[in-house]
Amino acid sequence: MRAANDTPATVALLRMRGICKRFAGVTALDNVDISVHAHEVHALMGENGAGKSTLMKILSGVYRHDNGSIELAGRTVSPSDPRAAQALGIAIIHQELNQVPELSVAENFFLGRELKNRFGIIDSARMREESKRWLAELGIRVDLAKPLRNLRIAERQLLEIAKAISLDAKVLVMDEPTTALNTAEVQRLFEVVKRLREQGMAVIYISHRMDEIFRISDRITVLRDGKLVGSMPAHELTRHALIKMMVGRELRELFPARTRQSGAEVVAVRGLSVRGSIGRQALNDIALTVHAGEIVGLAGLLGAGRTEVLEALFGVPAPERVSGDIRINGTAVRLRSPRDAIGLGIGFVTEDRKQQSLVLVRSVGENASLAALGRFVRGGVLQLRREAKEVGAQVRALRVKTPSLHTAAASLSGGNQQKVVLAKWLLTQPKVVLLDEPTQGIDVGAKAEIYELIDRLAKSGTAVVLASSEMPELLALCDRIHVLCEGRIAGTLDYTEATQERILDLATRYSAHVENHIPPPGGLSTKPAIEPASKVST
Amino acid sequence: MSIPTPHLAATAALAMPGGAPAHRRLLDQVLRFQGYLGLLIVFLLGSAFAPVRDNTNLFLDLPNQMNILRYVAETGIIAIGMTLVILIGEIDLAVGAVLAFSATFTAWLLTNGQFSTGTAFVTVLFSGVALGFVNGIVTTGLRIPSFVVTLAMMSFARGLARLIFGGVSIPLLPISEGGGAPESAFFFSQRLGGVLPVPALVMFAMAIIVGGAMRYTAFGRHVYAIGGNSVAARLSGVRVDLVRVTVFALCGALTAFASFIHAVQLNQGAPNDGYAYELNAIAAVVIGGTALQGGIGGIAGSVAGAWMLGMIDNALNLNNVEADVQLLIKGALIVGAVALQRLQRRT
Repeated sequence: MRAANDTPATVALLRMRGICKRFAGVTALDNVDISVHAHEVHALMGENGAGKSTLMKILSGVYRHDNGSIELAGRTVSPSDPRAAQALGIAIIHQELNQVPELSVAENFFLGRELKNRFGIIDSARMREESKRWLAELGIRVDLAKPLRNLRIAERQLLEIAKAISLDAKVLVMDEPTTALNTAEVQRLFEVVKRLREQGMAVIYISHRMDEIFRISDRITVLRDGKLVGSMPAHELTRHALIKMMVGRELRELFPARTRQSGAEVVAVRGLSVRGSIGRQALNDIALTVHAGEIVGLAGLLGAGRTEVLEALFGVPAPERVSGDIRINGTAVRLRSPRDAIGLGIGFVTEDRKQQSLVLVRSVGENASLAALGRFVRGGVLQLRREAKEVGAQVRALRVKTPSLHTAAASLSGGNQQKVVLAKWLLTQPKVVLLDEPTQGIDVGAKAEIYELIDRLAKSGTAVVLASSEMPELLALCDRIHVLCEGRIAGTLDYTEATQERILDLATRYSAHVENHIPPPGGLSTKPAIEPASKVST
Repeated sequence: MSIPTPHLAATAALAMPGGAPAHRRLLDQVLRFQGYLGLLIVFLLGSAFAPVRDNTNLFLDLPNQMNILRYVAETGIIAIGMTLVILIGEIDLAVGAVLAFSATFTAWLLTNGQFSTGTAFVTVLFSGVALGFVNGIVTTGLRIPSFVVTLAMMSFARGLARLIFGGVSIPLLPISEGGGAPESAFFFSQRLGGVLPVPALVMFAMAIIVGGAMRYTAFGRHVYAIGGNSVAARLSGVRVDLVRVTVFALCGALTAFASFIHAVQLNQGAPNDGYAYELNAIAAVVIGGTALQGGIGGIAGSVAGAWMLGMIDNALNLNNVEADVQLLIKGALIVGAVALQRLQRRT
């Protein structure tokens, strides 16, 4: 599987040397080197904010580096924009695919470089013919005239790969390609990647999933805080060593020890179903309970319905789409709007901080007090001084790094923005806190603080529901994990029995396309990928 | 005119925390006080270039300055309502047409209808609220962009004025001058102590009340939050639709107040009045530093913007510059103001 040893000893196909990049005084990349060979799958690892995507954006011409050089096949290049990078043979498959769902598969394949006949009219027949040939090469059989939106994410990714090959790409960058794929689809993707490697392509593979990295990659390069930590053949690394390289400290230090006690039942959901809408997974017969002082986890693949469960508990979907029984503190409630939910003592830290949680142009103070404004009103007038005092105290308690309460939320770092969001909900003195990917895009230091905070919140008797795609997070923090698949609860694991493998297994339980399921050849280890150190100790 | 609005603190803080270069900080200060600085510059230029007669600077002369204020008041009052609408990220193109309807209605109520000043005033105010309410309800309820809804209202309100009042202007004169309207209605065309025009007083009073509400009430915070990010506002428990409808209704009310003043000052109400008033109001808001995307800005800036536009017109008139050139200058100013805002955002 690991082809590192039988890779022909060639000079590096791609060599980035001494790359530096600063944004408005913040160093994103500091003297980073990376060498990628032909016939190599090269994993680029690092926590969120380590600089992986900045490095790849420089490679693909989205950003210009301040210092350093890029050599491609021995020639110094400097792609000025993505098109130029493409012409040089550098292709990127982004996490969010740059495709037009309403156009046909063939039209997407030729997007931006449509084939035309001699009258300058788009030649659909030839486009279908050509794209069919390229797709067949990767073993993809889809109806090319169908709109792209009918394709599964996995198929869309393969389409992008085929497109890259047709453009004669020499270096292929894949950014978190498996986030939304089930086991069989991952397997199929890996077959394709291996084939590309055999054909001499250099593949740069970015992923958070340890098991995948060790299955597919020949070499691993790790970045942390914009600096190169090291680059090693994959077979010389263990999971443990890799995590240590990425995090810079032992993982067990990241999570608080498990010393909580649970109290009365606060949230009880039975038979909760939500009709789907555009971009939203339908939910089917969801049942869950959360006691005071408990952290209940929601796991599942992208689009499995984690966010939708939280939204249903917060009154986000239109009430006519929701059916089932939700009880808060034993009383059946009907949540017609987020306002209703807030009135019942529920707080919701959304997945997308910038789009859904913060008013970026407004100040830290205004953001923090927004959900609890009523508390500061006397006779219709806002008591600005009392507001500043209480908000200030909360902001300080969470150690938000901000010059003042008047600073615009936009100018804070991701971790501090998230703390402002948490401050907002803590100011409402919630009984239930719903957290959706609370540590997404946050540096490691702030992550540890947020874990600590979630733990403290639960200890103080708050009922917490935590939805996350980061399994170590769920495994270390939760008392119970509900695994969602296609809008249903596929299984529930107590913390004593939960492992990454069992979660993944449940997460792909009802998946379509399992008929061609090939068991991964020894790649999936049976031991937990990351030992949930803190929980074993109880 | 310095109501401390919350936005000032926020925009100032858009500077990078600590250690921004000096020129950057200077620029931030300039942008923070965009409206007031513009007003000051226009005032100084106006004074410098004004013709002098009998040892008096015609621009600086107190009666002239008071005339400017009187002239500015209508636009200023409408601009206060328009500021709220723009702060929530919407637009109201119908204010000119609503003014035409309400002014005609005012004249009709006072002259033909023989209503008392108080009754007429409240009725007109209510009609403005009603028209604004329709704007708000259709925008939020049917999820049609306010640009389209108020464009439609622009046509509708003017049509309504012609239909109901017969397409001609209705004269509005006090009984003492041979008209049918009560004297008290003309309080709004008076000058306090023979100097300060009442309309200007109304403008400042409204600015203080609405500006104060923006800072000292939850409603004000909600307006800013909706304009900045309506999704986040809703998920923080803000009744987004209710606030939106209220804002449109308030804009209607302020426009109606301006219409009442308009009618008694001009001694008539005509369905063709208020032409291009929406553009003047929007220009005042934008020049005053309120972002068209919503979420940033304030009432005081808009009043300063309206005042500045009035001063420019006045200064150019004194120098015998043609009205067409004035339009060109106004156009350039709007673009300049928005360009400054873009500069500010590029942090």
